[in-house]
Amino acid sequence: MRIILAPMRRHSLMPALVLLQVALACAILCNVFFLAWQRLEPMLAPSGVDADNLILVDNLAAQGRTYTAAESVAGEDALRAVPGVRAASSGFGLPMVSIASLMVNLQGATHAAVGVNAFFGKNLVQTLGLEMVAGRDFLPSEYRPWGLGASNGPDSDWDTGVTQPVIITQALADKLFGATPAVGQWLHDPDPNDKSDHGYQVVGVVKHLLRNELGLATDGRADYTVLLARNIGNTAMLSYAVRVDPAMRDIALQGVKNAIKRQFGGATAGGARARVQTYVQKRNDAFKNARAALWLLLGMVLAIVIVTLVGIMGLTGFWVQRRTRQIGIRRALGARRAHILRDFLVENLLIVGTGIIIGMVLAYAGNILLMHYYELPHLPWTYLPVGAAVMLAIGQAGVLAPAMRAAAVPPVVATRSV
Amino acid sequence: MMGYSMELALRGLRRYPKTTALAVLTVAIGLAASMTTLALLHMLSADPLRGRSQHLHLAWVDTVLAKSQTYRSLDSDWATYDYKRLKTPDAEALLAAHKGTLQAAMADLDAQVGGDKGEPSNEQLLATSSDFIPMFGVALQDGRNWTAAEDAARTPVAVIDSELAQKLFGTPKAIGRVVQIKHHAFRVIGVSQPYAPQPHFYGLNAWTFSGNERESIFVPFGAAIDVGLASSSTDGCDDVTEKSKQYIAVDPMHCEWLAFWVQLDTPQEVTAYRSFLDHYAQQQPLGSFGKKPQSQLLSVQRWLTLQNAIPDNVRLNVLLAGSFLLLCMVNVAGLLAAKFMRRGAEVGIRRALGASRRAVMLHHLFEAGMVCLLGGVLAWPLTLLGLALLRMQDQGFTDLARLDVAMFAALFALALAVGVLVGLLPSWRVSMVQPGLQVKSA
Repeated sequence: MRIILAPMRRHSLMPALVLLQVALACAILCNVFFLAWQRLEPMLAPSGVDADNLILVDNLAAQGRTYTAAESVAGEDALRAVPGVRAASSGFGLPMVSIASLMVNLQGATHAAVGVNAFFGKNLVQTLGLEMVAGRDFLPSEYRPWGLGASNGPDSDWDTGVTQPVIITQALADKLFGATPAVGQWLHDPDPNDKSDHGYQVVGVVKHLLRNELGLATDGRADYTVLLARNIGNTAMLSYAVRVDPAMRDIALQGVKNAIKRQFGGATAGGARARVQTYVQKRNDAFKNARAALWLLLGMVLAIVIVTLVGIMGLTGFWVQRRTRQIGIRRALGARRAHILRDFLVENLLIVGTGIIIGMVLAYAGNILLMHYYELPHLPWTYLPVGAAVMLAIGQAGVLAPAMRAAAVPPVVATRSV
Repeated sequence: MMGYSMELALRGLRRYPKTTALAVLTVAIGLAASMTTLALLHMLSADPLRGRSQHLHLAWVDTVLAKSQTYRSLDSDWATYDYKRLKTPDAEALLAAHKGTLQAAMADLDAQVGGDKGEPSNEQLLATSSDFIPMFGVALQDGRNWTAAEDAARTPVAVIDSELAQKLFGTPKAIGRVVQIKHHAFRVIGVSQPYAPQPHFYGLNAWTFSGNERESIFVPFGAAIDVGLASSSTDGCDDVTEKSKQYIAVDPMHCEWLAFWVQLDTPQEVTAYRSFLDHYAQQQPLGSFGKKPQSQLLSVQRWLTLQNAIPDNVRLNVLLAGSFLLLCMVNVAGLLAAKFMRRGAEVGIRRALGASRRAVMLHHLFEAGMVCLLGGVLAWPLTLLGLALLRMQDQGFTDLARLDVAMFAALFALALAVGVLVGLLPSWRVSMVQPGLQVKSA
């Protein structure tokens, strides 16, 4: 060990520079990995819907009036009549439709309170192709009408005066009720001033349903979605979910476009055109910015790795070269090649290890700085070993070539004067 | 001595060209990353109306006859959507009071605007009052602005920009022509140059930064209400408002939809206006809704800060790129240290022949500086490439990413500063070489 430490004490600049590089790179890498994961998590989350066979219609806004509940139903009927269509629902807050979202705050028996996206519309479980894991779907008699910005008479207020049945996701069931089975449990709004809250009762649980506020689908909140037993009443805005036969996807898409044009014509407000797109298309558009950001972060990771690798190789190469004579002497005195190789690898391990420890402290400091500017949670400790492993690998890869060169130094070098 | 040091530095660059190239490349990448992100931040944080914006203030009084909306979602930042707008009667009252040098109420609306023939097109319309054009510095190239009397009479007149005039009439000379808005005729009385301050601080509800959106037509807001144009967003409505008139097409009499900006030239005027607003707020019958009188007078900068106009990730990227530049600097310092120490023997001889420590240090500082300046030169095209990549991203504001002269100057200043900082440590180290020792071992 002395043979490793002694040169470090005598020439401290080179190891100090390597150490500083490793510390900085480790700190930046941990934070970049974390930021990348924040972008990646919503992309990897299962949607829960029958993604390949789903078509969504949105951007339908009435000109100077509201659509009536009957028009909304007539639209559903027209869509169902299209060849290849299996199910159609008029809904609100549909997957990947982010024009308008409904946020609801819920609190369960564990007193954990969460903010969730609410979806509603008749028979959404069937139309979206959701997988029920417990309980049941809503009964036809349980639906109450509600629309955006419409006065529909006494029964269409948000406040129904009675407990509303809800279907929640498995992730929400775990969060709100822990190990207790969720079906039959009660939920309420945590705001004590909210008079319109008459509580919710869980009637069913679906496996997955990705929320439509994708920016919030991080830290395990991707499935924070509930289905409410509401159908669309008079409303200023309409959107439809349509599930089609896989064998007739293209024909059905064209049919849906025609049906929407026939049904709603040019009667939309402000020149807005109805949008008819497949789920896959909408998902692609929704993640465009996140993908661009991910590429940027990936480029950054590559740049950091290359710069650090080049730096370590350059410095170690020089440092090994400086000690050529010393290596020759050791070899002449009986040290084996493996010893020399091992010594350089261990030396690098020590320097990089120290750098990593400093880097972890810097990573946390950097995270706190980022949290100041950016809505970001604390850096989970699990990122530190990942960053450390990457840095160790870079360090060993960087030192390998110079160390092999060092091990190849013949003992005779010691007898020369240079 | 300077010349000699410089010459040595140039020679030094050419030795070990691979190391030099690596160092130059590393500096270039670090600088380009920093400059790309800084250029974007610089564009986005620029003064929207130079020479004017320090006099402009957003005035707001709470007059909504309803309980305050306190419902906040637990994990969304949506509750912060409040653009401090006014209901029509209050905007009219503040206009009539005429307490500022200039004042105007305004709202961005979507409208279908048609000319003599052909399909009407979707345009951004600014419903406002007569002071807007002089107050916000819209340049009229032809015709006139409308008057306060025309505001009061709700006369259907319009000022359009030259590009819309070209589009509708095939010529920028459109004075006296008629545009159709919702099947109502508006007489064109003025033609302006296209107007698009960045950020769009007086209408953040419509957009914040955009390279392709701008209001192309200005009309008196009374006339806009008369033809049935309505805002699609509001900050709050009186309780009496029908629900159907709270979304999509809001009720202008009972919902907040007009932003009210006032020009105040001195601090005394600001103080006086603030007390005028307080007084106005105290007269509002809000007690029965459990609200206290509230008013606000905000400068442009304060308003942009409150509304978080500069996207978070722009600042985040500057931080990331800055830390990457730091890493590159340490890396280059290491490369240069290795390069310099390799010629320890040569330095030893120079020292033995009488070169001072200072001379050795200067030579190496020059060399480090030159590496970074070369890096700066190479960073230039790389920065332009980075900005081109940013513009391709289409996030609403990225199409504004451009490099201006000031930023070019900053790039080279930064390169030089990096050079000196990076060079200090290795240069000092090599100047510490003992003359005797090196000569002996060589």
